[in-house]
Amino acid sequence: MKKSGLFKRAVSMALVTATAAMTVAGCGGKSTETSTTSGNTENGTYKDYKSGFKDQVTIKVPVYDRAFEGWNVTDNYYTKWIQKEFGDKYNVKVQFVAIGRKTEVADYKQMIAAGTAPDIIFHYDMPQAINYYSDEAMQELDTKEIEYYAPTYYSKMKDTMDKYGKIDGKNYFFFANRNPIYYNYVTLIRQDWLDKVNMQMPTTLDEFNKVLKAWKDAGLGKDGDQLMTGSFTYEYGFLPENLSTEDKALYLDLNVAPLTWEATKNYLKDKNTEYNEGLLDPEFYLNTKDTDAKADFVSGKTGVYGLYMNSSTDVISSLLANDKDAKVATLNPGALAVDGRASYYQYPNYGMIMGINSKTSAEQRAAVWMYLEWMSQKDNLFYLQNGIEGKNYTMKDGIAEPVADFKGESKLSDNNNKDYWCLVDEIAQYDTEEKTYKANLKTLAPAGYEKLIEDAYNYAKANEKYAVLTPAFTKTVSSISEYSADLLAMWQEFYVDLITCKPEEFDAKYEKDCKEYLKGGYQDILDEKQQLIKDKAYIAE
Amino acid sequence: MRNKSNKGKSVGIKPKTSTRRYLKKTWQLYALMLLPMIFLIVFKFLPYYGLTIAFKNYKVAKGITGSEWVGLDIFTKIFGKRDFWPAVKNTILLNVLDLIFSFPMPIILALILNEIRTKWFKKVTQTLMYLPHFLSWVIIAALGYQLFSVSSGVVNILIEHMGASPIPFLQEDAWWLVTYVLIGVWQSMGWGTIIYLAAITAVNPELYEAAHIDGANRWKRCLHVTIPCIRSTIVILLIMNLGKMMQGSFERVMALSNAKATEFTTTIPVLVYRWGIENGKFSEATALGLFQSVIGLILVLAADKVAKKIGEEGLL
Repeated sequence: MKKSGLFKRAVSMALVTATAAMTVAGCGGKSTETSTTSGNTENGTYKDYKSGFKDQVTIKVPVYDRAFEGWNVTDNYYTKWIQKEFGDKYNVKVQFVAIGRKTEVADYKQMIAAGTAPDIIFHYDMPQAINYYSDEAMQELDTKEIEYYAPTYYSKMKDTMDKYGKIDGKNYFFFANRNPIYYNYVTLIRQDWLDKVNMQMPTTLDEFNKVLKAWKDAGLGKDGDQLMTGSFTYEYGFLPENLSTEDKALYLDLNVAPLTWEATKNYLKDKNTEYNEGLLDPEFYLNTKDTDAKADFVSGKTGVYGLYMNSSTDVISSLLANDKDAKVATLNPGALAVDGRASYYQYPNYGMIMGINSKTSAEQRAAVWMYLEWMSQKDNLFYLQNGIEGKNYTMKDGIAEPVADFKGESKLSDNNNKDYWCLVDEIAQYDTEEKTYKANLKTLAPAGYEKLIEDAYNYAKANEKYAVLTPAFTKTVSSISEYSADLLAMWQEFYVDLITCKPEEFDAKYEKDCKEYLKGGYQDILDEKQQLIKDKAYIAE
Repeated sequence: MRNKSNKGKSVGIKPKTSTRRYLKKTWQLYALMLLPMIFLIVFKFLPYYGLTIAFKNYKVAKGITGSEWVGLDIFTKIFGKRDFWPAVKNTILLNVLDLIFSFPMPIILALILNEIRTKWFKKVTQTLMYLPHFLSWVIIAALGYQLFSVSSGVVNILIEHMGASPIPFLQEDAWWLVTYVLIGVWQSMGWGTIIYLAAITAVNPELYEAAHIDGANRWKRCLHVTIPCIRSTIVILLIMNLGKMMQGSFERVMALSNAKATEFTTTIPVLVYRWGIENGKFSEATALGLFQSVIGLILVLAADKVAKKIGEEGLL
């Protein structure tokens, strides 16, 4: 009798404990330490951690996972090297956290909710960075503290931080440097097809459409494309001349497609014509990944394909394996723009936009600054960008020339480790532009294809006058985070329908879709932006 | 079961001691039950706490407890969304179509298989038919596009070679619906058959004998012996299917959808995914999920009532 009573109690105790434990586990991560913005000060000065932290500090550093084949983003030769060179020196454990490149916002939000987000919260575009801020996921920054722990980094980025890093007057963001180049994105065109139909490189949209027609008549491939899932820059070739700053601020947005804008209508109309004349890949919308569009190009189904070029890209070699007579050239960007006015998205002079996680402690924050400082040192950055001399590259005229097909353990990632050093710099560079360009000829093109980058460079130079800078708002546009997702879904539905519908149905459909789009939240966004423009709450330089 | 509970009742004069004695005798069984109970509590009951964010303006950094209560605001908001009512409509439409076409197929198939005399043929057919059940929808959809896409699908190439114009099986709304349902039938019919075949083996052979003696042919035997005997199985499965009425397979719609044929591809599970996972609007997604579950529960209860009315045992 006694025994069973005891047992019952034991069971209930076990159950209660289990339940309690699970409850705690279930909502853990929420009520952990509250952040303190100060905490590194002692008697009015900052604590000195130069000889390392007394107790080991763990910092979680985000790194984009671009699903490169055979590359472990969180554990490889370079993460180990960082731990050895930086971590062990200051008693810091550097833990890398993989962020899916295409799912980054969802990944971050889930990790923020679970309390496991990295200490640095980053994003490439301002509107989303501001969204993280409005989710209260970031803490206010003390610029003096950054200056103390990361003097090299701070002196380089101080102006940028003063100008763009404040929201509602308080410091929240810090940045990576960016000296933008515009010749790493290359649209490839089949030169052998151009030769076959006896045509020159097209320089305007009209000429390009003529080329496509000639290709069709000769039984060659079509214009390639893929389903747009964001990063809206499709309209740049159709922008009106002398675009006003107000219009730029109102309509240009990488995350919200300006469906109701004249530029969009012209773009869609052109694509609609292309589609109905059989010049465009009729199933472009089934290409949901870049690899799909690449496969079309490689198999000769399409004759145009754009990509960020890199010395290790396999698109040309795969194409040649399929068709040994294939020849590629860099498409003149004017071919995708009305009258050849190749407007393009001008990058701001900062790269990655970063904030510190609201849950990060003062010591971790100091360690993050020290990490940035360490990475800002020339030698460290150069090693991270180029690898080991004599193995990954050879030095020629002060330029690191990559060894072709290097396969050793210190092999760089497919984008030259950019996802690690993007915290301090967006583009690898030498002290002069000329040197940088020379180095890029080697790092951006597969051996023997330097001409592609050279042409891209020349086109970019010639088109410099068409750069369009998107004004950045200094306040949150709350309707964007509210509606952007719904609008994206709507946009995909509408734009595919508008491109694939019969030409005579186009105008009526476009009008109807615009109405629905405005009603679905776009009107709210326009209104809110209009108000901010009126209040001059934006930076347009 | 019934006997046991009767026994319990008869000894129920001295309940305290009897419970103890009973527990003492059977504690091992309760111990065995502990693990599944914990599992149930942790994974089924504790998450109910998370449902509260359907009534809160959930901010990721503030956590579930830290976010402020907003009453039914979230529900008002989602009911007003452009995609909400089409999603409800599509979910019901796709599931009703599935119920009409996919639900009876396994029954018919089981009845046919049951009549096959050659044992090996029956076995081989059965195995081949339930194999698609083990394929993931992502793979099935990839196969679907390989077979049915307009410009490069094998089926359409065949059609074109025969001189007809290609059919947009997956790239036009109405056709998409047809293809969606048929692929579903193909994928699920074999697996469902197993349950009915099991029920059929439990049918008393004497009944067949008696029917045979009475002069019933095979068709009549099937109609008047087999079907009535597996009726309760059919009803139970029907009730369970009604419960899924508001769910529908997320992977199936997601994998088979494309940007061209969008009329029927917005369903409730797809919206939950899009809002919750893709856009991080956890409150909205939770509210939608809750709405879906409540309707599903109502449907199950109603179906159960109806089943009991027509003299079946029901689920509850």
